[in-house]
Amino acid sequence: MPASPASPDSSRTDAASFDYEAALAACASGEQQALHRIYQHESRRLLGVALRIVRDRALAEDVLHDAFMNVWTKAASFDATRGSGRGWIHTLVRNQALSVVRTSGREVSVDEEMIEAIEGEAVANAAPMAEAFEISADIGRLDECLHRLDVTKRNSIMLAYLDGCSHSEIAKRLNAPLGSVKAWIKRGLLSLRECMA
Amino acid sequence: MNESADDLHLLAGEYVIGTLSAASRADVEARMKNDGALRTAIEMWEEKLAPLSELVEPVEPSAALWSRIESSVAAKSVPRAPVKPTASWWNSLNLWRGLAASGFATAAFMGVVVITKIAQPPAPGYMVVLVGPQDKSPGWVVQAGTNSQQARLIPLGKMEIPGDKSLQFWTKGDNWKGPVSLGLVKPGQSLEIPLDKLPPLQANQLFEITLEPSNGSPIDRPTGPILFIGRAVKII
Repeated sequence: MPASPASPDSSRTDAASFDYEAALAACASGEQQALHRIYQHESRRLLGVALRIVRDRALAEDVLHDAFMNVWTKAASFDATRGSGRGWIHTLVRNQALSVVRTSGREVSVDEEMIEAIEGEAVANAAPMAEAFEISADIGRLDECLHRLDVTKRNSIMLAYLDGCSHSEIAKRLNAPLGSVKAWIKRGLLSLRECMA
Repeated sequence: MNESADDLHLLAGEYVIGTLSAASRADVEARMKNDGALRTAIEMWEEKLAPLSELVEPVEPSAALWSRIESSVAAKSVPRAPVKPTASWWNSLNLWRGLAASGFATAAFMGVVVITKIAQPPAPGYMVVLVGPQDKSPGWVVQAGTNSQQARLIPLGKMEIPGDKSLQFWTKGDNWKGPVSLGLVKPGQSLEIPLDKLPPLQANQLFEITLEPSNGSPIDRPTGPILFIGRAVKII
């Protein structure tokens, strides 16, 4: 998808200069304009994040609506010593989106054990896996650490984080046994943690 | 439970990347309230993985989304707001009761006793003080009897609106799908509002006045900013 022509890449410079922490403090004191400022600066990115996870435009807007309500009602509990304001807002949106897809049971009830039994070793000698994602933005240390993982672990973790895929959805997308996916994610997370420590 | 550091970080990591089931997510969320180590581990993952969101293509929200958020926020912000104006109204009600009582005493003293009429308690009903969402200053009052088929909207002051705009009055009960229009309102003028087509008034029912195009909102919900908002309070 091409970038929106309206504001080429201004959102990132905006994000860098906008004081999210101050805006959250203003929300906590009941200033509705502050919530609007956050919306103006971040809603495009947040909707992008939500849409990737819930995969439905109307549902993604519902997620953003509910998440902004959470930003408003929980702003007083934001603690700047524990993380950035922008990160906190993104987390509320991701959690709302994940809660929607996990609760709605998007996947047609998959019997995980059964899939594991059927798939067995069948995929073991399949062709080498291709990269599922192209890392196009500068994401710093995380990029380096992700590339130290082998492609199966990298793909699994990114499908989960970016596309809101469950274990069995990842198994389907990567055409891999469920047990392997679970193991890749566990080992991948442990390696990432070590690399980023 | 003896949980290794790796287990804790894996649970936190899977929570953050989103692979946990709805039930496990709920467990983690309940647990992290009292489990500092788990909370710290989750925050660590949130921070480390956050840059991944930079890979996501931004999407322009529809124009209606902000209005929706704005209305919900205003509705949420109000319940505690009108307490003060309500209290001052109570005071003036007491004042009026006081005046009625002293009038009664005088009348009784003069031997003109009309007990049945004067001693009647005031009819129970509802009152709403509509306040500005920002400055909380009261702008309008709604009064209605409990079984009344009508409510009365009374301005508390004068206001001006642009010539190409109108004021529209709305209400929404707790379980209603959306707000219902009660019609257009003229600045500074009282209005009798028939309620017979609506479910009975309930405590906490939301009322608001929004700024709309000159003929009112073109759709079945508010499109403009909320100028005044309040919730119904039962008067005993």
